[in-house]
This record gives sequence, C-alpha cells and structure tokens, in this order.
Amino acid sequence: MAEILVFCEKDDVALELISKGKEFKSALGMSLAAALLGQGAAGKADDYFAYGADRVYVSEDAALVPFTAEAYAEALYQIAQRHGAEVLLLGSTKRGKELAPRVAQKLEAGCITDANSVRVEDGQLVADRYAFGGNTVATGAIKTPQKVIAVMPKTFALGAREAKKGEVVDAALSLKTPRTRVVERKEKAGEAVNLEEAEAIVCIGRGLEKKEDLRIVEELARVLGAEVGCTKSLSTDWGWLSEDRLVGLSGKKVSPRLCVSVGISGQIQYTVGIRGARITVSINKDENAPIFALSDYGVVGNLYEVLPRLTEKLKSL
Amino acid sequence: MNIIVCMKQIPDLQQIRIKERKPVLEGVPLIFGDMDKNALEEAVRIKEKMGTGKITVLALGPAKLKDTIKEALAIGADEAVLLIDPAFAGSDSAATAKALAKAIQKMGGYDLILCGEGSTDNYSGQVGPRLAELLDLPQITYVRELEVADGKIKAVRNMEESFEVVEADLPAVVTVAAEINTPRLASLKQILQAARKPVQTWTPADLGLAGDAVGAKGTAVEVLSNLAPETARKQVVFKGELDEVIGNLVDALIKEGVLGR
Amino acid sequence: MEKMDVVIVGGGLAGLATAYCLADEGLAILVAEKGDFPGSKNVTGGRIYLNPVRDLFPDLWDEAPLERHVVRERLTMIAESSSTTVELRSDRFDQAPYHSFTILRAKFDRWFGDKVAEKGAFVIPKSKVDDLVIQGGRVVGIVADGDEIYADVVVAADGVLSLMAEKAGLRKGREPKHYAVSVKEVIELPRQTIEDRFNLEGNQGLAQLFFGALTKGMMGGGFLYTNLESISLGLVVGIKALMQREPKLEVHQMMEDFKQRPEVRPLIKGGEVVEYSAHVITEGGIHAMPKLYGDGILVVGDAAGFGLNMLMTVRGMEYALASGAMAAQTIKRAREKNDFSAATLSCYEQLVRDSFIYKELQTFSHVLNVLENPRLFNLYPKVFCDLLEKLMWIDKEPKQKLSTTVLQELRGNLLNMETIKDAFSFLKI
Ligand SMILES: Cc1cc2nc3c(=O)[nH]c(=O)nc-3n(C[C@H](O)[C@H](O)[C@H](O)COP(=O)(O)OP(=O)(O)OC[C@H]3O[C@@H](n4cnc5c(N)ncnc54)[C@H](O)[C@@H]3O)c2cc1C
Ligand SMILES: Cc1cc2nc3c(=O)[nH]c(=O)nc-3n(C[C@H](O)[C@H](O)[C@H](O)COP(=O)(O)OP(=O)(O)OC[C@H]3O[C@@H](n4cnc5c(N)ncnc54)[C@H](O)[C@@H]3O)c2cc1C
Ligand SMILES: Nc1ncnc2c1ncn2[C@@H]1O[C@H](COP(=O)(O)O)[C@@H](O)[C@H]1O
Repeated sequence: MAEILVFCEKDDVALELISKGKEFKSALGMSLAAALLGQGAAGKADDYFAYGADRVYVSEDAALVPFTAEAYAEALYQIAQRHGAEVLLLGSTKRGKELAPRVAQKLEAGCITDANSVRVEDGQLVADRYAFGGNTVATGAIKTPQKVIAVMPKTFALGAREAKKGEVVDAALSLKTPRTRVVERKEKAGEAVNLEEAEAIVCIGRGLEKKEDLRIVEELARVLGAEVGCTKSLSTDWGWLSEDRLVGLSGKKVSPRLCVSVGISGQIQYTVGIRGARITVSINKDENAPIFALSDYGVVGNLYEVLPRLTEKLKSL
Repeated sequence: MNIIVCMKQIPDLQQIRIKERKPVLEGVPLIFGDMDKNALEEAVRIKEKMGTGKITVLALGPAKLKDTIKEALAIGADEAVLLIDPAFAGSDSAATAKALAKAIQKMGGYDLILCGEGSTDNYSGQVGPRLAELLDLPQITYVRELEVADGKIKAVRNMEESFEVVEADLPAVVTVAAEINTPRLASLKQILQAARKPVQTWTPADLGLAGDAVGAKGTAVEVLSNLAPETARKQVVFKGELDEVIGNLVDALIKEGVLGR
Repeated sequence: MEKMDVVIVGGGLAGLATAYCLADEGLAILVAEKGDFPGSKNVTGGRIYLNPVRDLFPDLWDEAPLERHVVRERLTMIAESSSTTVELRSDRFDQAPYHSFTILRAKFDRWFGDKVAEKGAFVIPKSKVDDLVIQGGRVVGIVADGDEIYADVVVAADGVLSLMAEKAGLRKGREPKHYAVSVKEVIELPRQTIEDRFNLEGNQGLAQLFFGALTKGMMGGGFLYTNLESISLGLVVGIKALMQREPKLEVHQMMEDFKQRPEVRPLIKGGEVVEYSAHVITEGGIHAMPKLYGDGILVVGDAAGFGLNMLMTVRGMEYALASGAMAAQTIKRAREKNDFSAATLSCYEQLVRDSFIYKELQTFSHVLNVLENPRLFNLYPKVFCDLLEKLMWIDKEPKQKLSTTVLQELRGNLLNMETIKDAFSFLKI
C-alpha cells in the first residue's frame, strides 16, 4: 500500500503532521508512517503511534548526528524508495525547508514549501502557500508521482492521543559522512514569547530611532495587555528584539484581536503576517504609507508624540 | 576562485497593486531579488578580499534580463550567462533548478555557487538545495557570515534557536540570508563600463535540454489558483490635532470592543 | 576616463527625442534618468497633438502606445452651485491620421526609452545627475554618483526645474508667477464603463477642461482625459496665486473638493485611484525662457521653458519632442565641424525661433497676464451660469421676456470699467 511518510526534526511539529495525516490516510487510501532519525530516535516510537502513525522507520546512524540536510535527505530518500512512500509530509521549519527540496530532487518530485493549508480535493492533495511576496495565496497540486510538502508549524492542531500500537521498522540506511561539518553551535538567548497566541500585539518598525526607545513601545503594550512584535531589521539585522517577535512572511503569522503597527511602512512581507488580526491600527508619520490602506484605523503622526499620549489616555480610561 | 551567483529577476513587489484579486504586473519595474543582491555582494567581497577570481551571474528569466543584468555587472560581476527563451517561460523551482544546473555544468570550473535563501517573490527556498543535489555538492543555507580560505568555506548559519557554525570543502552551494551584508549600489559610470562585460544567452538547446523538459512543460507543481485573499479593512485615518486624534482612535477601539482584557 | 559623445540629462520626451534622432548616427549616447524608468515620475495630463511633430518622427507613431484619439472636446465653466458645459464632437477629429491623442506618459516614455535603447543608446534609469563638469567656462561632462562622465555636448532635458540649465548659468532666478503646481490622479475604470459614460466608441476619446470656482478664484483649472482603461483627472493652480492666497489652501484638498463636484463625481464613480502625483508646470511661456545654449550644452523641452498654459490646456509635449529633434540636428552639424562651442550650437536657437515653438509662445505671450485675472475664475463663470439658470427656471410668477433677463444680468454684473478692460485684454489672447 502506498504510504504517507512524515518527518520533522521537531517532534511537536511531526506529531501535528501525523494528527492531520490520519485524515489524508483515509481520504487517499494510504497508510501513515513516520521517520525517526538521529540520536534517541527509537525511544519516540510510542508517541508517534499514539497520535496515529501505523509504522515508524528508525535509524540512529552516526551520519545523522548532527542534523545536515545532505544526510537527512539521503535517509528519507532511501526510506521512501524502499517502502513506497508517495507523499512526504515534512515540517517547514528552517531545517525542514532546506531538506524538502533536496529530498524532492532525489525523488525527482515536485515540492511545495511553507504550506499553510493542505487538503484533499477531488482525490488529490492540494496545498496553499503565499506567493508574490505575500500578495497572493497560490494553491498548487504536485504533478509528479511522489510529492513532497513542507508544512508550516502550527498549521495543523495536535490530535488526541490514542492507545494505539504500530510497527517499528529498522530503516537500515547506508549513509556516507555528510560533507558539511558542524563546528559549533551558539544558542540564541531564547525568550518565552508566543505571538501566535497573543490577544493583542504592538508591532514596532524602523520608525523607531534607537533601542532605548523601545521603552515607549513596551509601555503602550503594557496598558493594552499586548505583546511586542517587530519588523525584520529590528530583529534579524539589529538584534533589538528576538526573532520570536518577528512578524511577517519569514516570521510569525499572528491573529490577535488587536494589532497596532507603529512606524511600519506596510511592505507586503510584513503585512502578510497580520492578515489574521481582527482589528488593525497603524501609526505612521507619512500619510501616504501603504500601511494605512491595510488598517482599520490609522493615525498620521510622529510615534514619539503619539505613543506617550495614547498610553496616557488609555491609562486614564 | 570561480563564483557563480544565481539571481532571479522579479517584479518590484513594492510597486505591485492588486486588481480583482490579481497582481497587476504591467508597468512594474523588474529588479533582482533582495537576497540575490546580497549573494552578489558577498561574491564581490570575497573576490575583493582574495584579490583574484571571477564572478559569473546566472539568471533564468524573460528577455528584460538583458537590461536588469547591467546593474549586476556594474556592481562587480565579471560576466553573465542568461537563460532566455520562450520555452523557459513558466518555470517553477524544479524546472529552474534543472536548467540552472545544466548551465553550471556547461560552464564548469566552479568553486562556489551562491543563491539567495529564498527568492523575493516566491521565497520557496528550493532552488539552492535542488542545485546542490543535482550537482552533488554540499549545501549550506541561511548563511549570515561567510569566510573562504584554502579551498574551504566556513559559514555561520542563522537557525531558529542557534547560530550554527559549519565548514565544508569547496565546491559547495551556499544560500545567504538578508543580514549577511548591505549590497552596494552601482554608479552610472560603472553601469556604462559594464556594457563591455561579456553576456551570453543560452537556450534549452544550448543546455542539451528538450523544449518540453523546461519551462511550464517541465514543472512539477501545477498552480490551481493564485489570488490575493480578500481583506477589507475600514481604512479610517485620523489626522490633525493630537488630542482629538487620540480621542477618536480610542473611541473607535472601544466601540470595536478590542480594548480591555 | 569615461567619455561619451552626447550625454542627455533626463529621459522625458525631450531627452528621448534628442537621443532617438541621434542614435542612428552610431554615436555613444547616454540618457541618464533619475526615475525607476523613463516616465515613471511623469505627471502629464495629458493629451498630445500629433500634427506638429508627426513628420519629425515618421516611424514612431504607428506602434506608439497612445491611448484614445480625442473626438469630443468639453469645456465646463464652474460656478459655486451650478455649471455650464459646452461640447464639441467632430467628424474631422475622428479621421485618421488623428490629430490628438490622450497619453499616459508612464507607458509611453517607457516604450520610447526602449526604442531609443534598441537603436543603441544607453538609457540608464535610476541615475541622477548631480552636477555639470565645467572647464574653462565650457561644459565638458556631468557628475553622477560622484563620478565624472565626459561628453562633447550635454543636453539638459531635465524638466521644468532644470538644475542643469542653472548650473550652466543659462537660467538666472525664477519667478513664482511663471510656475504652477498641479496634481493628477489616474483613476482606473473598465473600458466599457468609460465608453458608456462618455459616449465613446472603440478608441475614441474625450478631453474635458474645467475652470471657475474649483480654483477658488486662483489662476488655474481642471482637466479630465479618457484613457483606454482609466481617466486622468487633475488640477492646475498658479503658484503665485496660491502663495498670496489667505487663508491658505492645500492643493490636494482642492483636488478632493474637485472630485466631489457633481460635474465630476459621477464620471469617476466606482473607479480606483491607481496613481497620485504632483508636479510643477511652466506657465511662463516666452518670459520664462533661459538661454538655450552655451559652450558644450543645449537646453530642450520643459527645461528650456517650452510650455504653454492657456488656462486649462497645458501644452509642452510637442515642444519637448520638436526641440529634441532640433537639438539633435544641431549636434549633427556640430559634429561635422567637430566644434561644440556656443557659436556653433547657437544655430539651435535659430531653429527654435523659426519653428512653431517660438511662434506659438510669442503669439500667446500675453496669456499669463490675462490669466492672472481672478474675475476669470469667480465672476464670469458665476454670471454666465446664473444667467442660464434664470433663463431655464420656471417659477410661480409669469416668466418675463428672455431678453429682459439677459439685459438685467449683464447690466448688473458686467457693465463696469473692470470687465470692459478685461474684454480688451481677452482679445489679445
Ligand atoms: C523574502 C523576504 C522576507 C521578508 N520577511 C519579512 C518579515 O517576515 N517581516 C518583516 O517585517 N519584514 C520582512 N521582510 C522585509 C520587508 O520587505 C521590509 O523591508 C520590512 O518589513 C520593512 O520594515 P519597516 O516597515 O519597519 O521599515 P520601513 O519600510 O523603513 O518603514 C518605516 C516606516 O516608519 C515610518 N516612520 C519613521 N519615523 C517615524 C516616526 N517618528 N513616527 C511615525 N512613523 C515613522 C516611516 O514613515 C516608514 O513608513 C522580508 C523581505 C524579504 C525579501
Ligand atoms: C499636470 C500636467 C498636465 C500636463 N498636461 C499636458 C498636456 O495635456 N499636453 C502637453 O503637451 N503637455 C502637458 N503637460 C506638460 C508636459 O508634461 C511637459 O511639457 C513635458 O513632459 C516636457 O517634457 P520634458 O522631456 O521636457 O520634461 P519631463 O517629461 O519632465 O522629463 C524630464 C525628465 O528628467 C528627469 N530628470 C530631472 N532631473 C534629473 C537629473 N538631475 N538627473 C537625471 N534625470 C533627471 C526627470 O525624472 C524626468 O523624467 C502637463 C504637465 C503637467 C504637470
Ligand atoms: N530564475 C532564476 N534564475 C536564477 N536564479 C534563481 C532563479 N530562481 C531562483 N533562483 C535562485 O534561487 C534562490 C531561491 O529561489 P526560490 O527557490 O525561488 O526561493 C534565489 O534567491 C536565487 O538565488
């Protein structure tokens, strides 16, 4: 029987994919398998079964530690070919996103990365992703016999655990030592912030002149009961805020009740991230800024004047 | 040191508007993608630092590339290979990678292939890894710092929770992130001088590819629809005297029921 | 050292026309344009009259991306709460070769730029020229991005506020009275809607000009041109009048008010504004002309002040094209002599003087003074509209003789020294 093969180096994402995979399994008449690769892989099998995997392929081959796209692509390729996987559902984490096209190329398969919706329509899998920098949503179907889809984390909800058992199969891989060598890993100073769950968000952009001024943004956020988010330069380039706070195409897609964009011009790679917000407000000194067309309410003004006064007013309510 | 930089010509997204849920491309200037410019800049810096080398820009796309390429040559590429042919039209990542790989093989003698982490329009991040596979090379993606010495590269990759330092022997495929550098701008004089740099145009036949293996016919993904989502925002803009503006905004937010926890 | 034969500053109609006419000669020509592409920043209304320039560019017009040929001409006089429109529709205007077209410069100039590039000239967008290189009193090149680029001759085609003419010392000072500001919107509408709304068939077009209360007593007017799938709607106001006016008015607010007028609102209903732009226009005509040449430099188009604003028709495109052709002709001659001194280049001024450009500017040289008359924008439209309104109105009372109404209105409003003086001044136009 043809198979759906799930893999993500992050188990929580893999389990989301398995949860949804159960649906595809019955719609497509396939079985549902997962690959467990790397150190400690074997110990995870029961979790994967509990969320719905029928079978897991396990390998703790030394070439799989640490993660390299080269070795993991080869591993998935060997499993897919040996066991007749037709659909590869991967996570579109950074690692998943570099892995998916490489496996796809080995399989000579079509691939869709960053999918934010996957469903079965007329008996075939279709997936949505943003295109034109986020201006549009492209719905695609893969034409090749094998299909690789990398799905954004949190696209699917985690299902309920069941008392289910499955088959553990030794993947029996033959892997070469990968040609990229990981020399060092510097952990980022992580922050416990979850913009995706936030009820209100104040996003700040390049209109802010210096890092110290974040204080006025944080104050507004506090009275609004909001989290602080930001545009790209403030996180990836300048490091004023952690990348967990980046909103947009390469950051978080958020859906709060209220999203206030401050000193942000409204380029598409940002606005795509706030599309899900119920009410959007923007504050910008340039009245022609594109952000106003994408806002429910706009204020034309200097953020350094508007924010303190707005904070004050909100406090007085 | 021979560096090949893969650059994709895209419409300037900031000038795109949506009409009947479709992007209007007519009249929109064509430019190279942001991270592709970062990739070129990095190549130029490597060459400057090493004092020798050759940079070739490789691009597949519509005929307007012949114009767009001038800027890349002005910035510091030594020559360009353009894959321009009606048969290439409609290429997706898979078809693009296939043609680019053939072109790279035809050029031969490469040490480093640089791509953007993702193209500015699709951001699908496929072409780099697919090229690496097709050419059987190591791939290093999301690179924010790059060092080249003694036939080796050392790169710092920006991953979700960490910065990962990796090494590989050349040749290799590297995809760069936006933060790796700030691309320089070409001066008018450099653009004029660039006109003397060699530009070759190759067709599928030059690459030994059949017309139906490339472009729309060679795609692996069928696009069923590609429309802008419907978003209707109220677009109320307050301006003028600050207290009044803030009063109006707060009133509106209260009415919307989005204040208070 | 980077040396061209000709460097043209500005890729508008004048600059591109110069390059187009020279490119066949196998010269090294550079057109430096600061916009994203030729035409990208252009605000022109607009409509172009082809008869004066058709033969100068014989190969150009067949495939040129022009919009609609104008067969309906409307003039609307606006009073506070009423307006009067006259409309001409003419078979003559509907016969090929058509005499005038509406035009979208962003489309046209871009195409023209490609044509010029095809002929072998360098048309380089996103490049702003910052200065001239002047050695021993002669212009020998330009400065862009800090680099010097040399040329036998530099053509200043950089539009109405020409920095190049100034740097070359050809223009001394400016007077607000010689300039106007304008705003324009391009409003997209389906082709069929435009044709239905304006009574047009196929590629027929309409041009409508407005004057009166919309400029609140200031010199200026409004225009509307139908393009294939959009409408160009704009407003022109004299800078001097605007500066003198109390309380101050914002031009974009005037534009908003204009769009809300009952004469305009239904015409643009349902349209989407896809472009908004503002620009300065030369109004000065012959009075605002700089010296047209110097050692190693020629000035063409708007940069040379070749523009005419007669209330609501702005003209400059034909002048820009024709002056470009004349500059090219002059440069060819100078090359034959291999002499680019002012003495040789002076024949450009002679060509201009003998052409329709100079003659028209001269003929209409009094226009500006006449147009400064505020009565043109408040009193006369009001009197005329009031009169018609009274003539058309039927009340409870028996209607009086039409001639009585006319006489009463005229006597009350128009028979005084000022208006009689005005009548004489209008005759000079
Ligand atoms: C493939 C790709 C992916 C990307 N992904 C993302 C992403 O996920 N998220 C993201 O944000 N970007 C992303 N970008 C970058 C994006 O294109 C823009 O560059 C970025 O969003 C711009 O940020 P900004 O609006 O803060 O800055 P700017 O565009 O520079 O705008 C700053 C604004 O602040 C206003 N301003 C200045 N001073 C003041 C003041 N005193 N008071 C009020 N207003 C003021 C200005 O008028 C201006 O409108 C991506 C780009 C690419 C190519
Ligand atoms: C609202 C409006 C309506 C009009 N309507 C009409 C009409 O209906 N009919 C008509 O005939 N005329 C009309 N005109 C006038 C017409 O637009 C001009 O006469 C005509 O465009 C002049 O052409 P040009 O090439 O001289 O200048 P422009 O078209 O202005 O071109 C100058 C070019 O030079 C570039 N430039 C300037 N400085 C530099 C620099 N330093 N370096 C590099 N490039 C530079 C500019 O970007 C520009 O592209 C109108 C004008 C306006 C503003
Ligand atoms: N048509 C193309 N021509 C040349 N390079 C390309 C092309 N398309 C994509 N690339 C390169 O591949 C990278 C990733 O593209 P994508 O897979 O579309 O996200 C880009 O940043 C470019 O470096």
